Amino acid sequence: MLNTIKQVFHSPKFVVGFAIFVAILLTMIIYPLFCPGNPLEQIGVGTFAAPGTYVSLYDATKSPTETLRLPDAADNRIEASLSKEDRVEMVEWFGAMGISVEGLDIEDTDAMVDLWNANYDPSVRPAGMTSAKINYYKRLDNSIKELNASDTVIIADYDEEGNLVTTKTIADTDYVNTKEIANVKTLPLGTDNFGRDVLKELVSATGTSIKIGLIAGIVATVIGLTLGLLAGYLGGITDDIIMFVTNIFTVIPSFVLLILITYSLGQEQRGAAVVAIVIGFTSWTWTARSVRSQVISLRNRDHVNLSKLSGHSLVRIVLLDILPYIASYVVMAFILQVSSGILAEAQLSLLGLGPKTTQVPTLGLMMNWAMLYSAHTNGSWWAYFPVILVITLISFSLNLMNTGLDQVFNPTLRD
Amino acid sequence: MKGYRKYFGKKILWFIITLIVAVILNFLLPRLMPVNPVASITGKLAGQGATDAAAVQRIYEHYLHEFGLDQPIYVQFGLFVKNALQGNFGISFSQYPRPVSDIISSAIVWTVALQLPAIIVGWILGNVLGALAAYIKKGFDKVLLPVSLFLSNVPAFGMAVVMLVIFGVNLKIAPIAGGYAFDMIPHLSWDFVKSVISHYQLPFWSIVLVSIGGQAVGMRSMSIYELNADYVKYARFLGIKDSKIVGYVFRNAMLPQVTGLALSIGTMIGGALVAEIIFSYPGLGSTMYSAVTAADYPLISATTLIITIMVLIATFVLDIIYGLIDPRVKAAQYE
Amino acid sequence: MGKPMLEVRNLKTKYVTRFHEDVYAVDGVSFTIEEGKSLGIAGESGCGKSTLALSMMGYYFPPLHYMSGDIIIDGKNISGMDPDTVRKTILGSEIAYIPQAAMNALNPTQKIIKFVTDVMRAHDPKKDKNEIREMAEARFSELGLPKETLQKHAVELSGGMKQRTVIAVSTILNPKVLIADEPSSALDVTSQKMVIKMMRELMEKGYIKSMLFITHELPLLYNVTDDIMVMYAGQIVEKGTAKEMVFDPVHPYSHGLMGSILVPEEGTRGQKLGAIPGAPPNLKKPPDGCRFAERCKYACADCRYTSIPEKPFGEGRMYRCLKSVEELKEVYENE
Repeated sequence: MLNTIKQVFHSPKFVVGFAIFVAILLTMIIYPLFCPGNPLEQIGVGTFAAPGTYVSLYDATKSPTETLRLPDAADNRIEASLSKEDRVEMVEWFGAMGISVEGLDIEDTDAMVDLWNANYDPSVRPAGMTSAKINYYKRLDNSIKELNASDTVIIADYDEEGNLVTTKTIADTDYVNTKEIANVKTLPLGTDNFGRDVLKELVSATGTSIKIGLIAGIVATVIGLTLGLLAGYLGGITDDIIMFVTNIFTVIPSFVLLILITYSLGQEQRGAAVVAIVIGFTSWTWTARSVRSQVISLRNRDHVNLSKLSGHSLVRIVLLDILPYIASYVVMAFILQVSSGILAEAQLSLLGLGPKTTQVPTLGLMMNWAMLYSAHTNGSWWAYFPVILVITLISFSLNLMNTGLDQVFNPTLRD
Repeated sequence: MKGYRKYFGKKILWFIITLIVAVILNFLLPRLMPVNPVASITGKLAGQGATDAAAVQRIYEHYLHEFGLDQPIYVQFGLFVKNALQGNFGISFSQYPRPVSDIISSAIVWTVALQLPAIIVGWILGNVLGALAAYIKKGFDKVLLPVSLFLSNVPAFGMAVVMLVIFGVNLKIAPIAGGYAFDMIPHLSWDFVKSVISHYQLPFWSIVLVSIGGQAVGMRSMSIYELNADYVKYARFLGIKDSKIVGYVFRNAMLPQVTGLALSIGTMIGGALVAEIIFSYPGLGSTMYSAVTAADYPLISATTLIITIMVLIATFVLDIIYGLIDPRVKAAQYE
Repeated sequence: MGKPMLEVRNLKTKYVTRFHEDVYAVDGVSFTIEEGKSLGIAGESGCGKSTLALSMMGYYFPPLHYMSGDIIIDGKNISGMDPDTVRKTILGSEIAYIPQAAMNALNPTQKIIKFVTDVMRAHDPKKDKNEIREMAEARFSELGLPKETLQKHAVELSGGMKQRTVIAVSTILNPKVLIADEPSSALDVTSQKMVIKMMRELMEKGYIKSMLFITHELPLLYNVTDDIMVMYAGQIVEKGTAKEMVFDPVHPYSHGLMGSILVPEEGTRGQKLGAIPGAPPNLKKPPDGCRFAERCKYACADCRYTSIPEKPFGEGRMYRCLKSVEELKEVYENE
């Protein structure tokens, strides 16, 4: 046994798969310890806040400031506020005015602003330009001028008589240490359509999905193993009947059965565990087939015959003389079933037949929400891409482990 | 010829049996559930603001009668089969008063036109790549195998979303949704065909890409197994060229891949249908999705039945093809 | 003395393992087979006899590698030839091979006639299809195989039929040397007899000019071949006529092998070579002295460290032992 395990861990494929899977499991366990809280808590009011560090503007204005004279602060400010569209419009204006833009780099903010300041004249009305466009250029010019001028932001408050009184002036050289600000929140993967922290949700969803996969895998393996053992060991009419059923369910697409059952169960009955069990009930055929063929090749081996002659009970023979020899196949089939269970849940959820849950998310539900709110067409990659990546990685790692085991136990495939 | 007849006979018998079981399941599963479909429909209606209890009761009775739920189960089954044979699947709830058969027949064309070529192309490309990986081995194999393994594990919907975002949203090479431009009415014209083709690209390639990986991995290990077979050595020692022998090997490795495809088509179709949803492709996948969202029971029931029948036919056809091209099948029938 | 058909001089080949270690499987083997003669090679499994068979084809692919020595077929030295020339002009037409596991030697999905065509065309690409078919049919009938066999796939043939088909196909180009690696060991007694009869017929009719027969069943060698060599750990340890080798073995290893079969009669058919305790040496690092010393009852200290050359004696006989023939015979007498 120990030797077999050693051998398994010598297979590079198995080791890589195992490492990825364990890394995912560890993240799932450790992350909530450091960042506890309800994964479905809506912390954002808007939808799809981009990944990044969020600083409370309110707290920032109240925090003690330091004056820093950073040489490129003004340039950075202009650069950040001149959007790509603005730059394209500027070039268009230069063109309308017949100013040569040869050699001008649209990304070079300094050159753009210099050329603008040297040439822009609000009184000129280029022929054929709409007044809306002209007004837009005026606003653009104002904002460039404002950014250029060293200025301050004034914070005012009402006094007892209802007059606005300046309470604080913020200079453009004022800086606040992020450590001094009472509320700073890093959202590595932003928020989703409901304003939830995607990373926290993802970690929790991965856990739920793996659990669904495990339950589905266990259910499928138990059914498949029992039927396979019975068919293979007993043979005869039992074998015929079991194989008849197995063959039918191999051909009828399990996905369709899943849809029919989950839909008929109705929204209220569809908890995560129920969905997992239903998935297990529709995917046992492969285990049954492979167990059966293994048992058939085993059932006339000497040690089994000896056991039979010694009058051992059926249960004992199956448990001691057959199971240990097919354990590797069962484990391999189980691994595949876990991965296909996770996938099945995701596909069901995308159809709107996923688990009904108000406490825990699943990978499929996250994907479903992201699609419902068009995350993929509005550029909110953080809402769906990590989900796809996690599903792929789980399935990749499980399949690698399976291939590794296969190479150890079926040496003909070894290269 | 006797071997073949036996094989085909067996396959036809299996096709009929599985078809019957599939129809029974399709009929029985929803009726075995604690909530009968009509109750769930009327429940939904009540939830949507139909507060008049008497009206809900009337609707309930109407549907109960329409589905024949007020009759014994065997009569219901007879009715179900009779209607199905006549292509009568009732009236859609969500697209009232369109008959379900009408919705399905327009969707089925899109699905078949998308899935069939995509699965075949994916199968061929996957087998060629797998064979190359097995034959060339060094380097090529080292790069291609992990990539194929990884690719084959990307869920079909994931591949669809990634393709859509990269090629549709960012590069704007292809349209991102629908089977043709939304402002067009299906008719035979060059513009419409062009629109259909451009909408076809993304769903097609995302299904192809997903199926390539799995096929390549399977073909590679089959080819390695065959390359070490005794007949390879023997043929070499009789002076036959390596290129010719490689031909033998790939033929032998590819034949079981036909059965492999037959067995995996049921699994593949699930992913492929979900990919349709991502692209709002007007096929059965999207039909199923809108039926589920609208709780359109007759539509769901008919769609699942049609998908099952399509898969059964595909499997049957593949089995027959396999029987014709692999002489090992014929020999096995004598044993 | 007939004309030498196959002459092997000091042939050395090696296997390179996955871990880049060299295994010296054939380590300096020399022998000659004259026209019309057959030579048998006996030895335990793993002694290098099958590797010797492969090495004599002059066509190497990994993990087997040629090191040095000459293989001369009817006066033509093939050991220095470029592999493609060997393939086109030597394999199948000058030297042919019958593999150990003839059961799997034929491509299962190919008709026999197709394979025969491939073999013939590998040497003469323009050969007419009908001509090939007529030739093959004639040869098959002559060897007592039904013509219909040609139109069948390998999977449709029984074990004995497969083996006879393999022999017929291997010799279809009338090779000068036929190398048969345990052609009958997996067959039942009746099929075995037919195979042996067929090989004799081929020799008598002159379709093959000489034969090298490898087996671990000694009585078979005695019945089939003119001369016998005994191989141990990649080297020939003794050579003589079949009769001499069975009734008067000199080398302690041959003596041990023959020990159990004094009278090679029908009753002893199928009897395996006598069991000698111990295992052959590791051919990654062959010992300096006698390779059999570790297992030899009669070995002395010198045996382990003295490298022993092939020592001729009697009429064209040879053995490889430190002790003299007389010394050995005396020891055997006294047992």
